[in-house]
Amino acid sequence: MGWANWLISTVSRALAFGVPLLWGTLGEIYAERSGVVNLGVEGMMILGAFMAFAITQQTGHPGLGLVCAALIGGLAALLHAFVTITLRANQYVSGLALSMFGLGLAGLLGRGWEGKPLGKPLPTLAIPGLSQIPVLGPMLFQDQTILTYLGIVFAVILWALLFHTRWGIAIRSVGENPATADSLGINVTRVRYLCVVFGGLLAGVGGGYLSVAYRPSWTEGMSAGMGWIVIALTIFASWDPVQAIWGAFFFGVLYHLSYRLQAFLAPELLKLMPYLFAIVVLAVSGFGRARWRQRAPGALGLPYVRGER
Amino acid sequence: MKRILAVVVTVVALGALAFSAEKIKAGFIYVGPIGDYGWTHAHDLARRIVDEKYDWLETVYVESVPEGEVETYIDQLVRQGCNVIFTTSFGFMDGTLAAAQRYPNVIFAHASGFKRNPNMATYMADFYQVYYLNGLMAGALTKTGKIGYVGAFPIPEVKRHLNAFTIGVREVNPNAEVHVRWIYEWFNPAAAKEATEALIAEGCDVFAFTEDSPTVVQVAAEKGLPSFGHYSPMYDFAPDYVVSGQIVHWEKIYEDFLLKVHNGVYTTKNLAHVDYWWLLSQGAVEVGAKPGMVINPKYEAALKNFVLNHPVFGRISVYDLVFTRLNQMADPGITFDPFQGPIYDRKGRLVVPEGMWMSYDSLITLEWAVVGVVGPWPGEP
Repeated sequence: MGWANWLISTVSRALAFGVPLLWGTLGEIYAERSGVVNLGVEGMMILGAFMAFAITQQTGHPGLGLVCAALIGGLAALLHAFVTITLRANQYVSGLALSMFGLGLAGLLGRGWEGKPLGKPLPTLAIPGLSQIPVLGPMLFQDQTILTYLGIVFAVILWALLFHTRWGIAIRSVGENPATADSLGINVTRVRYLCVVFGGLLAGVGGGYLSVAYRPSWTEGMSAGMGWIVIALTIFASWDPVQAIWGAFFFGVLYHLSYRLQAFLAPELLKLMPYLFAIVVLAVSGFGRARWRQRAPGALGLPYVRGER
Repeated sequence: MKRILAVVVTVVALGALAFSAEKIKAGFIYVGPIGDYGWTHAHDLARRIVDEKYDWLETVYVESVPEGEVETYIDQLVRQGCNVIFTTSFGFMDGTLAAAQRYPNVIFAHASGFKRNPNMATYMADFYQVYYLNGLMAGALTKTGKIGYVGAFPIPEVKRHLNAFTIGVREVNPNAEVHVRWIYEWFNPAAAKEATEALIAEGCDVFAFTEDSPTVVQVAAEKGLPSFGHYSPMYDFAPDYVVSGQIVHWEKIYEDFLLKVHNGVYTTKNLAHVDYWWLLSQGAVEVGAKPGMVINPKYEAALKNFVLNHPVFGRISVYDLVFTRLNQMADPGITFDPFQGPIYDRKGRLVVPEGMWMSYDSLITLEWAVVGVVGPWPGEP
């Protein structure tokens, strides 16, 4: 059963590790599809992580904690939206500032919360029936929280919404060519605001997962760079919610294996693996440039001013 | 004659009084956030303890200082009027030395390094004895014969801890193995979590670690497996699963050092040979799940029931062995050291000869892995 042990632990760990990445990436895909880059994911995630922990610790309801995490993520994103959409400031600068602001604020608010255990973390679900299937059961249907399944279902819904509904067309056209969208009567500002704030809500949940499920406690800086991986995964997924599932899962597999394989390969090399992989992917997508360019929203990173071309 | 003597005494006394009336402003430079619940958290806790204890002491701190930028922060603290500065990361060593040479009138103390100056001392509270004691317990508690260890970096400090731990494990359970995984970061909860999960998947059932978060304890507890806390008391994270652990008391060193500065024993001229290497016998480190609790009561029975034939003590339970060894090391006239020869490394070389103890220098430069350690060991000689 050696191989089964490897398969089970790799897949189930990859799923668990991929959850915050998936939620964050789904949010960032929507923001970027509407033409707004938000590099503040790290900040929104850590604020979500703190909020979820603090609320859960006080009330004993991890669900409520996650809702509050989403709200604070959304609130932080609203700030980014105001600065970049209304004030038309540089999106990259604003996003970086948001990351630093989030890390700092969460650290400040979190004083005194570190080292406190969480009585009621988000439970893992053993799905009745399915979890009893040999190999497949422990691989997919034990040791996961509701957020794993919800994330995957959400990804499919968001994919359908983006590519097969009028709303999706509106979002994509705002991201491709806001002037044209505007002339067709789409409210560019409103679409962008909604997408950016929606992205913040999801990043907040991703962060909340870290502090109430993945490692139920609060420590300063606990998002430890996940927000930046989200930015890379958004590109890797070609701004497609369903591909984000594979991206997050694949990153999770590499991450787990980088510890599992240490008995056989140099640990320094393995530690590089996930990041090396990200670089390779970006390089490859650079070669297939025409195709990649097509996928990136045309007006990504550009503020929209009516009447300018 | 008497009168002259009286005058001299009065002058000296007045001088001493004037000096001791002088306030000390001590600055602390931390590498991490004070909320890490690990290394930096422990230093800051100690700072607050001594600060509250003495009226003549005022303290300030800066946190999350990048290792390359320590000099800039020292400049800032000196401008704020600090006359004693503690830098608390190995990577601050060269920057601190350079600053000590630029500010000959300020007293510096650097944690975990080896470079000194007339106005710069070094200090360290080391855990290797405590890890050994934890190893004794771990050896008795494993059922699979595999114990997991998550290490931050493969540097001498962590290797020393791992080796001492493994020596303890094998003293009780000669066939047990200690499986190690490195995360190459002092603080990265996600990495620590996945490293622990990887060890669990390989069949490890007891855990110890050297990194700056309570992650390993939490992950092991989720799976119902016992573990040993590191740095801060981690009992509260998993009251049913934290067997014991390592707890630091930096305040012992800070208090001693600052009192000696205050009393004029330490000056900016005489620190070139002042090096604190404080262990159990000085009270700078403690073995326990939390202060005062050496062994979690939930595990007392298991350790009392595990009886072995010990080459020195004959038939003895692990529980008694832990306290016997603890007393031998905590007593000021230390009669035992974990690194007591003969010790062979896992490549079969004799690294500590029969009857010998390791010197301080060889302890802080230790690179080999003792028999029983399984897994990657970068830099293995």
